[in-house]
Parts: sequence; structure tokens; C-alpha cells
Amino acid sequence: MKLLSLSYERFRNLEPVSFEPSPHATIAVGENGQGKTNLLEGLYLLATLKPLRANRLSELIRFGSPSAKVTGRFLINGAEREISVEIIPGGRTAFVDGKRAGSLDAYFGGVSVVAFTPDDLSVVKGGPDGRRAFLDRSVFNVQPAYLDESREYARALKNRNKLLKDHAPMSHLQAWDATLAKLGAKLWVRRRALMTALVERARASFQRIGRSPLEAQWHYEPAHLGEGIDFSAASEAELTERMLERLDARLTRDVERGFTSVGPHADDVEITLGDKPARAFASQGQCRALVLAWKVAEIENLQQANGFLPLLLLDDVSSELDPERNAFLMGYLADSGAQTLLTTTDAALVQRAAGADTKWFRVRAGTLTEEFRSASSTG
Amino acid sequence: MTPDAINRLVAQLAKLPGIGEKSAQRLAFHVLRSPPEYARALAAALIEVVDRVKLCSRCFSLHDGPEGTFCGFCNDPRRDERLVCVVEGIADEMAIERTREFKGRYHVLHGVLSPLEGVGPEQLRIKELILRMQDTPIEEVIVATNPDVEGEATALYLTRLLKPIGVKVSRLAQGIPMGGDLEYADQATLARALAARRDL
Repeated sequence: MKLLSLSYERFRNLEPVSFEPSPHATIAVGENGQGKTNLLEGLYLLATLKPLRANRLSELIRFGSPSAKVTGRFLINGAEREISVEIIPGGRTAFVDGKRAGSLDAYFGGVSVVAFTPDDLSVVKGGPDGRRAFLDRSVFNVQPAYLDESREYARALKNRNKLLKDHAPMSHLQAWDATLAKLGAKLWVRRRALMTALVERARASFQRIGRSPLEAQWHYEPAHLGEGIDFSAASEAELTERMLERLDARLTRDVERGFTSVGPHADDVEITLGDKPARAFASQGQCRALVLAWKVAEIENLQQANGFLPLLLLDDVSSELDPERNAFLMGYLADSGAQTLLTTTDAALVQRAAGADTKWFRVRAGTLTEEFRSASSTG
Repeated sequence: MTPDAINRLVAQLAKLPGIGEKSAQRLAFHVLRSPPEYARALAAALIEVVDRVKLCSRCFSLHDGPEGTFCGFCNDPRRDERLVCVVEGIADEMAIERTREFKGRYHVLHGVLSPLEGVGPEQLRIKELILRMQDTPIEEVIVATNPDVEGEATALYLTRLLKPIGVKVSRLAQGIPMGGDLEYADQATLARALAARRDL
């Protein structure tokens, strides 16, 4: 898969622009607030139909405009496809080759991205919700159906919580318990499969990033699952049964607090460094290395699952990394051969990711200008 | 100035689903231009529908017979009273009826369980279904609610109520549509069809 061209219309502060990225690194340089991130935001939207850093899709529309549109031409499995997404307040429409994409399955066929933003760097130290979102995004990247599944789960959960708050009769609650357990077990199985595919790779890449003699470990296991069940081996039916039991066992407490305390929404990814919880003991630099290792694992896993490298989006990450880890990342990008879009405030930081075919753009007040520089004149 | 009578008609028509202000105006002028008998017949039909059509007091399908009598489905002696199909609404009942395959009786819930929208068992015709079990020899209940979160929860709720009474409870199967191409089936449907595959 290759991204051939990108164009933006009424997208945030970007002036209408169309450009052809490099088959490898494309680097947008600019001060903060000039529109660099918006370039990545648009491409991420094309690939996932979700915003990257904005809270709501409608924030992506240029102030005072009725709608925004991003279009990308991709080479997918040897065929050229034009994919575009139009956003209006309250909704978005996806088009493939000018035709409205009927179903999301049809849409999520060939484009995959891995994004890396400064927000990701706080995942290790932040709250469990951040780690769940991080994990879920990785699952979605390999299993697009996960999006619908987790939405269904969230809906069943909201309904059950409403019943808990209303002190609904047991008979009514049990119907929702069974529904929730079925959907919850499905999410557990999906997350487990992803962890299995990713953890070894992440451990190995953490070693490669180096500067730490400690072993890193990622561990996911449902909270409050109880004794006598092996999560790593349990079938979906067994997990459904167990979740149902646990919902039942924790009912009094759940009714008291007005929310459901067991299920995929209450889990956490435990990250340890040399047997100590990274959340409490890892240094800032180690935390970043842990996130970096996970992202590299995700890229490798996607490459294996899809047979091609995902597009990589890096939003001003280099300024957040120490020089050695940044050097590792830039070297990794250059060696991987992946098509990458990077933004930075300082061109020197990403120089190592650049090659002969790198395209440089300067972003100023929403305007994109291509800069031609020889490899020797920069850095 | 448009006469108030026309404004009133346009305002009423524009309340109909799918009808905007302009379409409402066009419909109003159409009525006005048509012979007066048409307007009288339309008005009579509208009034008749609200005055005469009620819900059957047994299965809650639509019914226009005299008070205290049952609907056509419940009265039809050729229909098997041992078999009851539970549906969310009238439209679902009509869909199943179009198959001409189902020769049992119906029970219309008029909704599904949805705590977020304030719909609990008391808002649905569930109690009436249980009462029905007592005075008719029902052997099997087919739960035909939609395969979404709310429909599933409703089906499970009914199962828990009905099983202890000793009645067989079944659920509509999910899978590939007839005459459908596998290649056109969405992932969720295909995955469910795979999971629910059967022996040959």
C-alpha cells in the first residue's frame, strides 16, 4: 500500500492544498499552531474515520465553513483507489472512488496506519482508561470489526448501569447481564489475541531501543476474573460463563455504586520493568521507550497480518524523546522502508529519518510550501 | 394572504414523517384541486382508522372488529395455537407474514427492553404473554426480536420467564441471506454464520 497524494479542503486552519508525499519520509516543519498536526489528523481520519487528537470530528471543520473534506489517492494491492471523507457537523461520509462507501467493511479494506503522538507518551504513567484506549486502537488496527463490537458492548453496559442506578428488578437485570457477558467475552478474546501477537515483539524491540538492562513486560488480564480459570487458555464460551458469574457475585456492590465493576471496560494493561510496575517506578525516558517499543511491535504485527507496512504518522514526537531514543526511532524509520509522515518544530531532530527521496514541507499559518534541500545542507 | 384553512392543513401534513413544508403545501393544493368527494373520503378514512383500529386484546396485533373480539390471526382456526411468534412491532409481524411460512399465532411486544430510553418489561406486552400461556396450550415460543443489543436482551429476558413454565423457547437463526452471495455478506453476519454452522 502506498499513499500517492493527499488533498485537504476547509480542513481546520489548512489552506486548500494538494500534494504528493514521498514513498518514504515526508517531513512537515513548522512552529507550533501553524497546522502541522492537521496534516496528520486528515490522513488518520481517512484511514480510521476517527479523529487523531481532536475530541470531536466537527472540530476538524474550518471555522465558519459548512463542511470539510480530505481526499487521498492510494495504491492498494496494485490498484489505485481514491478515498475521501467529508465531515459535516454531526456526521461524516466516506467515499471510495467517488462512491459512497455502503458499509464500513468495504471501506476498511486496505489502508492501515500507526500514529504516534505526544499524547501516547503519557500512556504508561496515566490512568487505565488511556491504556485501554491505546490497546483498543491496536486491536482495531488489525480487526476493524472490533469497532462495532466495542460499541455494542458500550451500549449494553450503559443500559445495565442505568438499571443498577434505577434499582431495577433482578429479572430485568439478568437479561442484560447475559447480553453484556456475551459481548464482553468477545472483547476479551480479541484483546487477548492482540496481546499474544504483540508482547514478544514489544519486549524484543524494547531491548533494541536499549539504554535499559531491565526486562519490560506487558500483561493483560481481566480484573476480578476470580480463581480457577486460566485466562490465556479459556474459550469464549467459558469466559462468557465466568463473566456472568462475576457480574452476579459483585451485584450487591455494583448496585450500591451504580456501575458495573467487572468487564473489559474495567481492565488495565499492566506494564512492568524489571518486575516493578512501570507506572510507579519507570523514569520518563523509560516510559517513552516502552511506548516506542509497543508502537514498533504494532508496526511489525500489522506488516505480518497485512503483508505490507502500515503508514506511519509521527506528530512532533522527536522533541519529546531523548537524543538516543530519538536516534533509534529515526534509524528504525529509515531502515523499515515504511511510508512515513512526520511533523517537527526542528528539522535537525528528524534528519536521520530522511533519505534522498525525502520531501520537506514548511507549514506556516496553514499554508504548505515544498522546500528543496540537499541532504548536506540540513542537519 | 393564504387562507388560514390551508395553513392549518399544510401544518398538519408537514407533521407526517418524510413530509417537508413544501411537499405538505403541494399535497394541500392537490386536495384542494381534487373533487370535494376525495377530501371527504380521505377525512373519513383518517377518522375511521383511529376510531376503529385497535389492538387485539390477546396478541396486540392491529384489529378492527368489534370491542371484545380477537383479531384475524387469533380467530383463524387454521392457525396453530400451540406456536407463538413474538415480534417487536407490527412491521416485523407483517414481514414474517409475507413469508407465508408461519402458520402459528403472534404476540406483539410493541417495543424492546431499553433502560436508556426508559423501556422496562412493564412498558411492553410481556405480562400479557405470560397470562396467555395460562389459558392457551402454547408449546413453543419463537422469539423474533432484532439481533441487536436490545433485541438480544429482550430475548434473554423472555427465555428466563418462559423456560420455567415448561414451554420450548427458540430464537430466529442468523446467517447468510438466501440467494445472497457470500462475498456481499458483512463480516459480522459471516462470522455468526460460521459460528452457527450445522452438520450436513
